[in-house]
Amino acid sequence: MIAIIRLVVFGFLGLSVLYILISLYSQSVRRESLEKKFDAGGIEGERDAYITEGMIAYQKGLRRQLIWLVYIVPMGVIAVTVYLVNYQ
Amino acid sequence: MWTYAKWTFRVLLILLIGGFLHYTLPQHDIVRITNTYNRLTTVGSENSWAYSVPDTGTAESTTTRDIRFIDAAFEDNSVIVYRNEDTGWVWPPYFKYDSSNLQAEAGNLKSAQAAPKWVSVTHYGWRFPFLSIYPNAVSVKEVAGPDVRIIPWVNIVVLIALALGVFMLRRMWQQFWERTVEPAVAEVGQTWDGVEASAGAAAGSAKGMFGRIGAWLATWRGKPKK
Repeated sequence: MIAIIRLVVFGFLGLSVLYILISLYSQSVRRESLEKKFDAGGIEGERDAYITEGMIAYQKGLRRQLIWLVYIVPMGVIAVTVYLVNYQ
Repeated sequence: MWTYAKWTFRVLLILLIGGFLHYTLPQHDIVRITNTYNRLTTVGSENSWAYSVPDTGTAESTTTRDIRFIDAAFEDNSVIVYRNEDTGWVWPPYFKYDSSNLQAEAGNLKSAQAAPKWVSVTHYGWRFPFLSIYPNAVSVKEVAGPDVRIIPWVNIVVLIALALGVFMLRRMWQQFWERTVEPAVAEVGQTWDGVEASAGAAAGSAKGMFGRIGAWLATWRGKPKK
Protein backbone atom coordinates (compact mmCIF):
# COMPACT_ATOMS: atom_id res chain seq x y z
CA MET A 1 0.00 0.00 0.00
CA ILE A 2 2.81 2.39 0.92
CA ALA A 3 4.38 1.61 -2.46
CA ILE A 4 1.29 2.81 -4.34
CA ILE A 5 1.24 6.08 -2.39
CA ARG A 6 4.92 6.54 -3.14
CA LEU A 7 4.28 5.93 -6.84
CA VAL A 8 1.43 8.45 -6.87
CA VAL A 9 3.39 11.14 -5.02
CA PHE A 10 6.64 10.82 -6.94
CA GLY A 11 4.83 10.19 -10.20
CA PHE A 12 2.86 13.39 -9.68
CA LEU A 13 6.01 15.36 -8.91
CA GLY A 14 7.87 13.94 -11.91
CA LEU A 15 5.00 14.55 -14.29
CA SER A 16 4.57 18.10 -12.95
CA VAL A 17 8.18 18.86 -13.82
CA LEU A 18 7.55 17.45 -17.29
CA TYR A 19 4.34 19.47 -17.58
CA ILE A 20 6.14 22.71 -16.72
CA LEU A 21 8.98 22.00 -19.14
CA ILE A 22 6.60 21.18 -21.97
CA SER A 23 4.45 24.27 -21.33
CA LEU A 24 7.52 26.50 -21.39
CA TYR A 25 8.69 24.85 -24.61
CA SER A 26 5.29 25.13 -26.25
CA GLN A 27 4.97 28.80 -25.26
CA SER A 28 8.43 29.52 -26.60
CA VAL A 29 7.68 27.82 -29.92
CA ARG A 30 4.42 29.75 -30.26
CA ARG A 31 6.09 33.08 -29.47
CA GLU A 32 8.82 32.38 -31.99
CA SER A 33 6.34 31.56 -34.73
CA LEU A 34 4.35 34.73 -33.95
CA GLU A 35 7.53 36.80 -34.17
CA LYS A 36 8.47 35.21 -37.46
CA LYS A 37 5.00 35.69 -38.89
CA PHE A 38 5.05 39.38 -37.98
CA ASP A 39 8.56 39.90 -39.26
CA ALA A 40 7.61 38.35 -42.58
CA GLY A 41 5.53 41.48 -43.07
CA GLY A 42 1.98 42.21 -44.15
CA ILE A 43 0.56 42.59 -40.64
CA GLU A 44 -0.84 45.91 -39.44
CA GLY A 45 -0.16 47.35 -36.02
CA GLU A 46 2.57 47.09 -33.45
CA ARG A 47 4.80 44.05 -33.12
CA ASP A 48 4.52 43.66 -29.30
CA ALA A 49 0.75 44.07 -29.36
CA TYR A 50 0.44 41.45 -32.08
CA ILE A 51 2.57 38.97 -30.13
CA THR A 52 0.76 39.60 -26.83
CA GLU A 53 -2.57 39.06 -28.54
CA GLY A 54 -1.33 35.87 -30.14
CA MET A 55 -0.07 34.57 -26.79
CA ILE A 56 -3.42 35.31 -25.13
CA ALA A 57 -5.17 33.36 -27.88
CA TYR A 58 -2.68 30.53 -27.31
CA GLN A 59 -3.43 30.44 -23.56
CA LYS A 60 -7.08 29.80 -24.36
CA GLY A 61 -6.45 27.44 -27.25
CA LEU A 62 -6.75 23.69 -27.54
CA ARG A 63 -3.01 23.10 -28.00
CA ARG A 64 -2.29 24.39 -24.52
CA GLN A 65 -5.01 22.23 -23.00
CA LEU A 66 -3.54 19.19 -24.74
CA ILE A 67 -0.49 19.45 -22.47
CA TRP A 68 -2.68 17.94 -19.72
CA LEU A 69 -2.16 14.68 -21.60
CA VAL A 70 1.21 14.59 -19.84
CA TYR A 71 -0.73 13.50 -16.74
CA ILE A 72 -3.46 11.51 -18.45
CA VAL A 73 -1.39 9.33 -20.79
CA PRO A 74 0.92 7.81 -18.12
CA MET A 75 -2.06 7.12 -15.85
CA GLY A 76 -3.79 5.40 -18.74
CA VAL A 77 -0.68 3.39 -19.55
CA ILE A 78 -0.39 2.26 -15.92
CA ALA A 79 -4.07 1.29 -15.80
CA VAL A 80 -3.78 -0.71 -19.02
CA THR A 81 -0.58 -2.40 -17.80
CA VAL A 82 -2.19 -3.35 -14.49
CA TYR A 83 -5.15 -4.81 -16.35
CA LEU A 84 -3.10 -6.74 -18.91
CA VAL A 85 -0.62 -8.12 -16.40
CA ASN A 86 -2.98 -9.06 -13.60
CA TYR A 87 -6.43 -9.67 -15.11
CA GLN A 88 -5.75 -11.44 -18.40
CA MET B 1 44.17 9.19 -27.40
CA TRP B 2 41.21 11.49 -26.90
CA THR B 3 39.38 9.74 -29.75
CA TYR B 4 39.80 6.37 -27.98
CA ALA B 5 38.44 7.77 -24.74
CA LYS B 6 35.47 9.25 -26.54
CA TRP B 7 34.66 6.05 -28.38
CA THR B 8 35.11 3.91 -25.27
CA PHE B 9 32.67 6.18 -23.47
CA ARG B 10 30.14 5.99 -26.31
CA VAL B 11 30.35 2.21 -26.61
CA LEU B 12 29.97 1.83 -22.83
CA LEU B 13 26.96 4.13 -22.86
CA ILE B 14 25.30 2.20 -25.70
CA LEU B 15 26.02 -1.11 -23.94
CA LEU B 16 24.59 0.24 -20.70
CA ILE B 17 21.38 1.56 -22.28
CA GLY B 18 21.00 -1.52 -24.48
CA GLY B 19 21.57 -3.85 -21.53
CA PHE B 20 19.12 -1.93 -19.41
CA LEU B 21 16.42 -2.13 -22.08
CA HIS B 22 17.17 -5.78 -22.77
CA TYR B 23 16.76 -6.55 -19.09
CA THR B 24 13.59 -4.52 -18.59
CA LEU B 25 11.54 -5.00 -21.76
CA PRO B 26 9.31 -8.07 -22.02
CA GLN B 27 10.33 -11.09 -24.07
CA HIS B 28 8.44 -14.21 -25.06
CA ASP B 29 9.65 -17.78 -24.80
CA ILE B 30 7.66 -20.66 -26.19
CA VAL B 31 8.25 -23.51 -23.78
CA ARG B 32 6.73 -26.53 -22.13
CA ILE B 33 6.23 -26.01 -18.39
CA THR B 34 7.66 -28.95 -16.50
CA ASN B 35 7.43 -27.96 -12.86
CA THR B 36 6.21 -25.25 -10.53
CA TYR B 37 7.31 -24.92 -6.94
CA ASN B 38 8.55 -22.55 -4.32
CA ARG B 39 11.85 -22.72 -2.60
CA LEU B 40 13.46 -20.93 0.32
CA THR B 41 15.94 -18.68 -1.40
CA THR B 42 18.71 -16.57 0.05
CA VAL B 43 19.15 -13.36 -1.83
CA GLY B 44 22.63 -11.95 -1.39
CA SER B 45 24.08 -8.53 -2.01
CA GLU B 46 25.49 -9.62 -5.37
CA ASN B 47 22.17 -10.56 -6.91
CA SER B 48 19.52 -8.70 -4.94
CA TRP B 49 19.19 -6.20 -7.82
CA ALA B 50 17.62 -8.98 -9.88
CA TYR B 51 14.97 -9.78 -7.28
CA SER B 52 11.95 -7.91 -6.04
CA VAL B 53 12.18 -6.04 -2.77
CA PRO B 54 10.85 -8.16 0.11
CA ASP B 55 7.74 -6.10 0.83
CA THR B 56 6.36 -6.99 -2.57
CA GLY B 57 7.66 -10.55 -2.38
CA THR B 58 6.30 -13.44 -0.47
CA ALA B 59 7.77 -13.20 3.02
CA GLU B 60 9.03 -10.72 5.58
CA SER B 61 12.69 -11.65 5.82
CA THR B 62 15.08 -9.53 3.81
CA THR B 63 17.64 -12.15 2.90
CA THR B 64 15.91 -15.52 2.93
CA ARG B 65 12.37 -15.95 1.72
CA ASP B 66 10.10 -18.24 -0.24
CA ILE B 67 10.22 -17.49 -3.94
CA ARG B 68 8.06 -19.18 -6.56
CA PHE B 69 9.80 -20.77 -9.52
CA ILE B 70 8.63 -22.20 -12.83
CA ASP B 71 10.75 -24.79 -14.63
CA ALA B 72 10.34 -25.06 -18.37
CA ALA B 73 11.89 -26.73 -21.40
CA PHE B 74 12.29 -25.44 -24.93
CA GLU B 75 11.53 -27.52 -28.00
CA ASP B 76 15.21 -28.50 -28.28
CA ASN B 77 15.11 -29.71 -24.64
CA SER B 78 17.31 -26.93 -23.31
CA VAL B 79 15.83 -25.67 -20.08
CA ILE B 80 15.00 -22.37 -18.43
CA VAL B 81 13.95 -21.48 -14.90
CA TYR B 82 11.76 -18.47 -14.22
CA ARG B 83 11.09 -16.86 -10.91
CA ASN B 84 7.57 -15.64 -10.27
CA GLU B 85 7.55 -12.58 -8.03
CA ASP B 86 5.42 -9.49 -7.70
CA THR B 87 7.19 -6.47 -9.14
CA GLY B 88 5.75 -3.79 -6.91
CA TRP B 89 4.78 -0.33 -8.04
CA VAL B 90 7.91 1.37 -9.19
CA TRP B 91 10.51 -0.62 -11.07
CA PRO B 92 10.35 -2.50 -13.33
CA PRO B 93 6.99 -1.00 -14.24
CA TYR B 94 4.96 -4.17 -14.72
CA PHE B 95 2.71 -3.55 -11.69
CA LYS B 96 2.40 -7.27 -11.22
CA TYR B 97 0.69 -8.45 -8.05
CA ASP B 98 -0.90 -11.70 -9.15
CA SER B 99 2.05 -14.06 -8.64
CA SER B 100 -0.10 -16.63 -6.86
CA ASN B 101 -2.59 -16.75 -9.73
CA LEU B 102 0.22 -16.94 -12.24
CA GLN B 103 1.73 -19.86 -10.35
CA ALA B 104 -1.65 -21.65 -10.46
CA GLU B 105 -2.03 -20.98 -14.17
CA ALA B 106 1.48 -22.23 -14.85
CA GLY B 107 0.80 -25.35 -12.79
CA ASN B 108 -2.36 -25.92 -14.78
CA LEU B 109 -0.43 -25.78 -18.06
CA LYS B 110 2.20 -28.34 -17.00
CA SER B 111 2.74 -31.06 -19.55
CA ALA B 112 4.90 -34.13 -20.17
CA GLN B 113 7.38 -34.53 -22.98
CA ALA B 114 5.18 -37.16 -24.63
CA ALA B 115 2.14 -34.88 -24.84
CA PRO B 116 3.53 -31.34 -24.91
CA LYS B 117 1.41 -28.24 -24.29
CA TRP B 118 3.24 -25.22 -25.69
CA VAL B 119 3.07 -22.11 -23.61
CA SER B 120 4.20 -18.59 -24.39
CA VAL B 121 5.84 -17.21 -21.26
CA THR B 122 6.17 -13.44 -21.18
CA HIS B 123 9.06 -12.48 -18.95
CA TYR B 124 11.73 -9.89 -18.36
CA GLY B 125 15.21 -10.29 -16.94
CA TRP B 126 18.14 -12.60 -17.45
CA ARG B 127 19.13 -16.08 -16.40
CA PHE B 128 22.68 -16.06 -15.01
CA PRO B 129 23.46 -19.30 -13.18
CA PHE B 130 26.69 -17.80 -11.88
CA LEU B 131 24.80 -15.06 -10.01
CA SER B 132 21.72 -17.22 -9.35
CA ILE B 133 19.42 -14.78 -11.04
CA TYR B 134 16.27 -15.70 -12.93
CA PRO B 135 13.98 -13.91 -15.37
CA ASN B 136 10.65 -12.96 -13.82
CA ALA B 137 7.63 -14.52 -15.54
CA VAL B 138 4.85 -11.99 -16.12
CA SER B 139 2.20 -14.03 -17.88
CA VAL B 140 1.62 -17.44 -19.44
CA LYS B 141 -0.60 -18.27 -22.38
CA GLU B 142 -1.17 -21.52 -24.22
CA VAL B 143 -0.21 -21.36 -27.91
CA ALA B 144 -0.74 -23.71 -30.86
CA GLY B 145 2.80 -24.94 -31.28
CA PRO B 146 6.48 -24.27 -30.70
CA ASP B 147 6.83 -22.27 -33.94
CA VAL B 148 4.18 -19.63 -33.31
CA ARG B 149 5.39 -16.17 -34.21
CA ILE B 150 4.72 -13.56 -31.57
CA ILE B 151 4.86 -9.90 -32.52
CA PRO B 152 6.42 -7.89 -29.67
CA TRP B 153 3.92 -5.02 -29.72
CA VAL B 154 4.87 -3.75 -26.30
CA ASN B 155 8.52 -3.44 -27.29
CA ILE B 156 7.64 -1.74 -30.57
CA VAL B 157 5.45 0.83 -28.81
CA VAL B 158 7.88 1.43 -25.93
CA LEU B 159 10.90 1.87 -28.20
CA ILE B 160 9.04 4.25 -30.51
CA ALA B 161 7.82 6.24 -27.49
CA LEU B 162 11.37 6.39 -26.07
CA ALA B 163 12.77 7.57 -29.41
CA LEU B 164 10.07 10.25 -29.62
CA GLY B 165 10.84 11.29 -26.04
CA VAL B 166 14.56 11.66 -26.76
CA PHE B 167 13.77 13.59 -29.94
CA MET B 168 11.43 15.94 -28.03
CA LEU B 169 13.97 16.50 -25.25
CA ARG B 170 16.54 17.42 -27.88
CA ARG B 171 14.14 19.84 -29.53
CA MET B 172 13.30 21.40 -26.17
CA TRP B 173 16.96 21.80 -25.31
CA GLN B 174 17.69 23.41 -28.70
CA GLN B 175 14.77 25.79 -28.26
CA PHE B 176 15.98 26.72 -24.77
CA TRP B 177 19.50 27.31 -26.07
CA GLU B 178 18.41 29.35 -29.06
CA ARG B 179 15.81 31.51 -27.29
CA THR B 180 17.23 31.89 -23.77
CA VAL B 181 20.95 31.16 -23.58
CA GLU B 182 22.14 32.70 -26.82
CA PRO B 183 20.35 36.05 -26.32
CA ALA B 184 21.71 36.19 -22.75
CA VAL B 185 25.24 35.51 -23.98
CA ALA B 186 24.90 38.15 -26.67
CA GLU B 187 23.71 40.62 -24.05
CA VAL B 188 26.66 39.80 -21.78
CA GLY B 189 28.95 40.56 -24.70
CA GLN B 190 27.32 43.95 -25.17
CA THR B 191 27.32 44.75 -21.45
CA TRP B 192 30.95 43.77 -21.21
CA ASP B 193 31.87 46.04 -24.10
CA GLY B 194 30.08 48.88 -22.31
CA VAL B 195 31.86 48.17 -19.02
CA GLU B 196 35.21 48.12 -20.72
CA ALA B 197 34.61 51.35 -22.54
CA SER B 198 33.47 53.28 -19.47
CA ALA B 199 35.85 51.93 -16.87
CA GLY B 200 38.99 52.25 -18.91
CA ALA B 201 41.86 49.84 -19.35
CA ALA B 202 43.02 49.65 -15.70
CA ALA B 203 39.64 48.83 -14.21
CA GLY B 204 38.88 46.48 -17.06
CA SER B 205 41.90 44.28 -16.48
CA ALA B 206 41.27 44.24 -12.71
CA LYS B 207 37.75 42.95 -13.18
CA GLY B 208 38.79 39.91 -15.18
CA MET B 209 36.56 36.94 -14.87
CA PHE B 210 34.51 38.23 -11.93
CA GLY B 211 33.66 41.32 -13.87
CA ARG B 212 32.31 39.18 -16.63
CA ILE B 213 30.25 37.10 -14.20
CA GLY B 214 28.91 40.30 -12.66
CA ALA B 215 27.97 41.61 -16.05
CA TRP B 216 26.21 38.36 -16.81
CA LEU B 217 24.31 38.54 -13.51
CA ALA B 218 23.28 42.08 -14.36
CA THR B 219 21.46 40.79 -17.41
CA TRP B 220 19.10 38.90 -15.09
CA ARG B 221 18.17 41.95 -13.03
CA GLY B 222 15.01 43.85 -13.80
CA LYS B 223 15.08 45.77 -17.01
CA PRO B 224 12.73 48.58 -18.02
CA LYS B 225 9.76 47.10 -19.87
CA LYS B 226 9.73 47.89 -23.55
